[in-house]
Amino acid sequence: MKLFNYISLLFLVITFIGCEKVIDVDLDTAPPKLVVEASINWDKNTTGNEQFIKLTTTTDYFSSSIPNVSGASVFITNSSGTVFNFVEITEPGIYVCNNFEPVINESYTLTIVYNGETFTATEKLLTTPEITRIEQNNEGGILGDEIEVRFFYDDIPNEANYYFQQIDDPYKAIPEFGVLEDRFFQNNELFGLYFSENLKSGDELIFTLNGITQNHYNYLNILLSQAGGGSGGPFSTPTSTIRGNVVNQTNFNNFALGYFRLSERAKIAYVIE
Amino acid sequence: MCKISEKKSSILLKKLLMSLNKILLTTLMTFGLIFSSTAQEKFTLSGTITDQKNNETLIGVTIIITELKTGTTTNEYGFYSISLPKGTYTLEISYIGFETITSTIVLEKNIRKNISLKESQELLKEVIVSDRKVKAEIRKPEMSVNKLTIQEIKQMPVLLGEVDIIKSLLTLPGVTNAGEGQSGFNVRGGSADQNLILLDEATIYNSSHLFGLFSVFNPDAIKDLKLYKGGIPARFGGRLSSVLDIYQKEGNSKDFHMTGGIGLISSRLLAEGPIVKDKASFLVAGRGSYAHLFLPLFNNDNSAYFYDLNTKLSYKLNENNNVFISGYFGRDVFNLNKSFVNTYGNSVLNLRWNHLFDEKLFSNMSFIYSDYYYGLKLDIIGFNWDSGIKNYNFKYDFKHYLSNKIKLTYGNNSIYYDFNPGRIEPSNDNSSINPEQLAKKYAFESAFYVDAEHELSKKITVSYGLRYSMFYRLGEQTLNTYENNQAVIFNPIFQIYESATPTGTISYKKNETIANFDNWEPRLGISYAFNDDQSIKASYNRMTQYLHLISNTQSPTPLDVWAPSDNFLKPQLLDQFAVGYFQNFKNDDYSLEVETYYKNIQDRVDYIDGANLIANEAIERVVLSGKARAYGLEVLFRKNHGQFTGWIAYTLSRSEQQIEGRTPEETGINNGQWYRTGYDKLNDISVVGNYKLDEKWRFGANFSLQTGQPVTFPNGQYEYNGITVPSYSLRNENNLPTYHRLDVSATLTPTSNTGRKWQGEWVFGIYNVYNRMNAASITFQQNKETASNEAIRLSIFGFIPSVTYNFKF
Repeated sequence: MKLFNYISLLFLVITFIGCEKVIDVDLDTAPPKLVVEASINWDKNTTGNEQFIKLTTTTDYFSSSIPNVSGASVFITNSSGTVFNFVEITEPGIYVCNNFEPVINESYTLTIVYNGETFTATEKLLTTPEITRIEQNNEGGILGDEIEVRFFYDDIPNEANYYFQQIDDPYKAIPEFGVLEDRFFQNNELFGLYFSENLKSGDELIFTLNGITQNHYNYLNILLSQAGGGSGGPFSTPTSTIRGNVVNQTNFNNFALGYFRLSERAKIAYVIE
Repeated sequence: MCKISEKKSSILLKKLLMSLNKILLTTLMTFGLIFSSTAQEKFTLSGTITDQKNNETLIGVTIIITELKTGTTTNEYGFYSISLPKGTYTLEISYIGFETITSTIVLEKNIRKNISLKESQELLKEVIVSDRKVKAEIRKPEMSVNKLTIQEIKQMPVLLGEVDIIKSLLTLPGVTNAGEGQSGFNVRGGSADQNLILLDEATIYNSSHLFGLFSVFNPDAIKDLKLYKGGIPARFGGRLSSVLDIYQKEGNSKDFHMTGGIGLISSRLLAEGPIVKDKASFLVAGRGSYAHLFLPLFNNDNSAYFYDLNTKLSYKLNENNNVFISGYFGRDVFNLNKSFVNTYGNSVLNLRWNHLFDEKLFSNMSFIYSDYYYGLKLDIIGFNWDSGIKNYNFKYDFKHYLSNKIKLTYGNNSIYYDFNPGRIEPSNDNSSINPEQLAKKYAFESAFYVDAEHELSKKITVSYGLRYSMFYRLGEQTLNTYENNQAVIFNPIFQIYESATPTGTISYKKNETIANFDNWEPRLGISYAFNDDQSIKASYNRMTQYLHLISNTQSPTPLDVWAPSDNFLKPQLLDQFAVGYFQNFKNDDYSLEVETYYKNIQDRVDYIDGANLIANEAIERVVLSGKARAYGLEVLFRKNHGQFTGWIAYTLSRSEQQIEGRTPEETGINNGQWYRTGYDKLNDISVVGNYKLDEKWRFGANFSLQTGQPVTFPNGQYEYNGITVPSYSLRNENNLPTYHRLDVSATLTPTSNTGRKWQGEWVFGIYNVYNRMNAASITFQQNKETASNEAIRLSIFGFIPSVTYNFKF
C-alpha cells in the first residue's frame, strides 16, 4: 500500500538526483530460526473453517528459496479448551485445519512443538469493518498523472483501532502492504489509497483489510519499514530484530520470528474503469 | 530629560556592576588565584579596529605591545582594551589579509585609539613590512577551535558552485556529516542537534537547505565564523558538542556597494551602504534558488526552491554606543502539484546594543527572537501539518579588561521557549482528518556565567570559568502519569519495550513549574608556551543540553521537532577533556595542531523499536535514556603562506552509544551493548590546496577520504505474508564502502577589472572529478517485479561541473 510515508518522500527527492545500482554485497548468515506465519483470516460471509499456518526458517539473504519446516505439531486451542489441529497434508511447511471455529473476541492459543521445543502465542480474534465504497480518480497520485483508487471503510467507533491493508497489483510480483491507526480519523470514514503509473482500464486490483491489535500494528510497522527498503539511507530508522508474539516455552532465548494473529477479513476486487 | 535619566540608570548599572565585580573578584580569589598587584600607575589603551574600506569592524585583530611582548585581540564587535603601566610603546596591529601597521603611543593617560586597517594588496607587496598569516594560536589557552576566513571558504571547490560554510568546515579535523546529502554536521562524534548555531548571537535551529544539500548561510553576508569543538567558553551553553558562532557584516558605512553572483543552483545579491556616512549603515542580502531544482522530477505545476534574506542596520550613536538590528529569514519550499506542499525554515530578529561603560568595560545587550517553522500539506490524504519552535532570548554580556594579564567575561542569558509539537488540520472539505492541536510546551532557560583569561606568567596562561544554568519546564499543560513513573515498560515475554498506558493526568496552570533542573558547568583551559612558536594546552568543559531534537533517523529531517527536558526526558550532560600540541614553524609559514579528546555524555536519548515520533503527544512513552562516549585524535597541518596554501586534516575517532536495560531483566537497546552512532567515522582525511598562479588565475583542490558510514546489513531473510523480510541483529556493525572524492576549481579574475568599478570573477568547478560512485546508502529490498532480493546502492553526486559568476561594484 502506498500509504503516505513522508520520510520516503524526502528520500525520493534525493533519489531523483542520485543514481541507483544493484550491487553485490557479501553478507554473513546467522543460524536459522523458526519463523511462524499464523495469520487466521475469517473472510466475511464464510464459515472460516479452513485455515492454514506456515512454518519456515530464516536463511541466507540472497537465497532464492525459503526452507520449510516439516514435522512440527501445530494446534490452536480456544478459551473453552477445544483443540483445532493443523496438519501438513500436501505442501511441506503448510499446516492446514478444516474445522476451525472463528468467534469474534474469542481468545485463542497457538501451540507449536518443533525439535523438542514448545512455542506458544495467545491472541483474540478481532473484528474488521466492511469496505463500503470505491473511488477511482484518473488524475491522481502526487503529480496528478496516475490512476488512483481509494477503498473506503468506516472506523470502528469509540475505540483505538489499527488496520492492516493489502493491495494486489497485477504488475507486481509481491503485494503492497500498509498499516493505519485511527488516531487522527477517530469515528470517521477511512480509506486505503493506491496509485500507480502502470494501471490502466481493465486491470484488477484486490484490496484486503484486517483489524489488528496495537501490538501487531507496531510489529508490522517495523517489519514493513525494514522489508520495504526502509533500512538504508539518511532518513531510515535503525534496524533491529523484529520480535513477534511467539514465545519459546522450552528454551526462552531461542525465540521464533513471526506472529500469531486472528481477525475477520474484508476483501474486494476492483476492475479499473 | 531623557538623557539625564539614561545617565542615572547607567550610573546605577555601573554601581551594580562594581558590586558584581567585587563578588566576582572574591570568587576568583577563592579559586586560589591572586591578581598581580602592582603599585605602578596604569592606563588603558582601547578602541575599535575597522576595515578602512568600509568601516566594517574586524574580529580577532591582534594588537601586540612590542616592548612588553604582550597583547590583546579585538572582540566580536571589533573592540579592544589593554591596561599598561605609564610609558611609550610600539603597537603592532595585524590581521589576516590586512597590512600590518605599527604605531608609537605615549601612554600617560587613558587613550582611545580607533584604528582602521587597509586590505593588503598583493601588487604593493614590496612595501608591506609583514603580512599576518593564518597560524596556530600559541599563547592563549583557546583550543579545539576551527577557524576559517570567508576568503578561504570562498576559494574552496564546492558542490554545484554553491559556497557553503558548513561544508567547508567538514574539511577541518573533528567535523563530519553522516554522509553526502545529509543534513546537519557532527562535531567530535556528537549528534547534529548538539551544535549551537548562532547567527549574530541568535539560535538557528536548522542549518540546512534542501534536506542537507546546502547550508542556510549566504556567504556574502557573513563576516566571521568560529567553531568551538571543545574548551567552550562559559558564555556559551545549551548544547553539548559545539558552538558555531557566525557574525554577519554590518554593512559599508562609507559607500554604497553591491555584491552578487549567478550560479547554477542559486543567485545572490547583496546591497550595503551608508544611511548616515560613517555612522549608520545598512545591509540587505538575498539569495534564491531557481524554481525547478530537480528538472527531471518537476514540470510546471511543481516547484522546489529555497531562498534566504539577511538584513542588518548598524548605527553608531557615539563613541560609546552602537546599535544593531539584524534579521534573517529563510525558507525551503516544495510543491508537487499542490498535493504535497512542504515549507520550512528559520527566522531571526535581533536588536543589540553595544555600550562602553568605560575604557575597560565593554557590554552588549541583545534582544533576540528566533523561530523555526515546519509546514506540510498532504492533500492526497487531506492532511495539513504545522510545527515549530519559537524563542525569546535576552542576553547581557560584559567583557571586562581588568589588566593586560587578566580579562573577564560575564553575563546572563535567558530564553523563553514556545514549542509547537504539531497542529493537524483537514486540508480540504473531503478530508476525514479530525483537527488536533498537540499540547504546546513551554520552558524557560537562564544562565549566569563568568570566565577569566589570566596570564599567570610569560609561559602559562589559564582560562577558568563557570556557568550556572537553570531550566524550567512550564505550564500550561496536562501531562500523563504512569505507574511507578515509568512511561516505557518492558514486556518480558516478547522481550520488547512498549509504551506504558497512562494511569492519570496532572494539569499545570500557565507558568507553573512542571520540572526544573540546574547545573554548574565548569570550563577550564591552560596553555604552556615553550616559546613563541610551541605550546601545549589542555582543557575541560562540562555542558548541559536541555533541549532534545526528537529524531530517530540516520540524519535529522526538517520534520523533527524539538522538545524540552522534563521528568522523563532528562537534560543531557557532557564532560570533555582535551589536550593538544601547537607549533608554528619556518617563520609561521607552516603550522601543526595535534589534539586528542575524550567525551562522556550522560542521559543520551534513544528510542524504542518502532517508535512513532511524528505527532507523538507523549514522547516519554517511546524514549529510553543511556550514555554516549566519543574519543579521537585530530591532526591539522597547514601551509599558511606563499603562492600555494592549504592543509591536511586527519581525524581518527570513535563515537558510540549504549542504552542498557533499567533492570537486569530488560534488554536495553541493541541488547544493552555499545553500538556505533550513525556518524561514527574511524578515519577521516581531508587535503585542501589553493594555488595562486598569477593575478588572473587561482586554482583550488580538495580531496577527502573517510571510512564509510556505519550501517546494519541483514544476516538473513525470512518470509512473512508473502514478502521476504531481511533479518537484522546488532546495530551498526557494518560499514558502507570507503568514501573518497576529489574536487577542483579554477577562478578567473579578468585583467579588465583593473581600475574599474565593476569587479567580475568566474569560478569553474568540478565536484567528484573521477566520478566515484560513493554509496550514500545500501538498501536491501525485494524487487517488486521479480520478487528476488537485491542490494541497491544509492550514489548521490557523481561528476558534477559548475560555473559561477561573481561580481562587485
